[in-house]
Amino acid sequence: MTAPAPDDRPAAPSLLDCPFVQGDLPRLRVLVDRYADREGLPEPRRWDFVVAVDAVASNAIEHAEGGGTLVLERADGHLACHIHGSGPGFTADAVPQEMPGADEHAAGRGLWLASLITDHLTVSTGADGSVVSLTMRLPRTST
Amino acid sequence: MAAAAGSASAGTIPVQQLRAGDHAFAGYGDDEAGRDVVAAYAWAGLANHEKVMVFAAPQLTEGEVWRRLDAPGPLLGAARDRGQLVVSSMRALIHPARSFTPRRQWQRIQEETDRALAEGYRGLRTYIDMHWVGDLDADIAVMMYRESHAEHLFTDRLYTEICAYDSRCFSPDVLAAMHRAHPCRLLPHLGALHTEHAADVVRLVGEADIATREQFTAAVREGLARSAEARRLTVDLSRVSFLSAACSVDLLRLATSAAHDLIEVRCRSAVARILRRADADHIPNLLISEVSP
Repeated sequence: MTAPAPDDRPAAPSLLDCPFVQGDLPRLRVLVDRYADREGLPEPRRWDFVVAVDAVASNAIEHAEGGGTLVLERADGHLACHIHGSGPGFTADAVPQEMPGADEHAAGRGLWLASLITDHLTVSTGADGSVVSLTMRLPRTST
Repeated sequence: MAAAAGSASAGTIPVQQLRAGDHAFAGYGDDEAGRDVVAAYAWAGLANHEKVMVFAAPQLTEGEVWRRLDAPGPLLGAARDRGQLVVSSMRALIHPARSFTPRRQWQRIQEETDRALAEGYRGLRTYIDMHWVGDLDADIAVMMYRESHAEHLFTDRLYTEICAYDSRCFSPDVLAAMHRAHPCRLLPHLGALHTEHAADVVRLVGEADIATREQFTAAVREGLARSAEARRLTVDLSRVSFLSAACSVDLLRLATSAAHDLIEVRCRSAVARILRRADADHIPNLLISEVSP
């Protein structure tokens, strides 16, 4: 998978570009946290970001053939995580636009929460699956 | 998720909550189980500007140890080249002494800590695989004495140590004694969730995610059932190093449906923030108590 490049500028090298299955998530969370720290994303937004990345990656595990690919990159003053998965349930519909009811599946509420705690969450669908992109704005002072 | 320096940790904790100055026991039963623990420990040390020395099992080649410590991407950067991350052995540490004595090892650790500070680091952290005991043909009783009398290394909180015991190589009695001798014990691998029940309290330690979600909800349900008569329950999440969005929602749903007068959730502020975003403040019988890291 190739991380989307903003505009026509060359993309910065990815911080992470890893295929994953369920057993990889604990290590991936530590890595995302470490890289987010390295790129200057402070607490508590860093914790929010890791929780949101985990929610989307878990959704890929449940609905996109057991796993996907995670790309973490810094671009345009933002930290962005793109999670690619291919499967019938890993689509834009999986992310509720409004808070789901208490009796609905908790995973849907988890994704709704992920969209709430990140600056942007977008879903793009193509022939080879979907990409959920989570973005957090970095403080201006970070380099 | 990195822990801040402060008072010493005690009890069972995930490696992510280890603080500078802790002396921790880790156990493992197969060659793969603990590899994420040493990697996460090393990465956190580098991020905290500490020097990190890994005294790996002597049967591993240096290349194998470096592969275990490696991370995808530029995280490790030049840490190896500049000497911030070092792979060594107990044999090399105590050199030129040929046999292990606590005095010699303590002296060398103090020297390495002083050297790390002189090099500009905030302190030293070591990961010591206890296979060195067999490698140096050391007396188990002497090793146990060392482990039980090492408090002075940690008093200024500049030195942090994990002692990793392969349960296949030490007797249950030795493992139990060493478990007790360390102020804190680590969960055996990343992603683990440990549950403790007491009267009207359920304490969770580790990570509640897609893999441990059923265990997490079962523990909260059991806590609710145990405290049904008292109608008050404390859910202690202060040692949870990760709580997923789905588990956060599960917790609030269980609280909503419980007949309890009060469910107190003790957690760190980052967890409290997520719970509040999920509407926790609108659950009448739920009280969120924030605790310091």
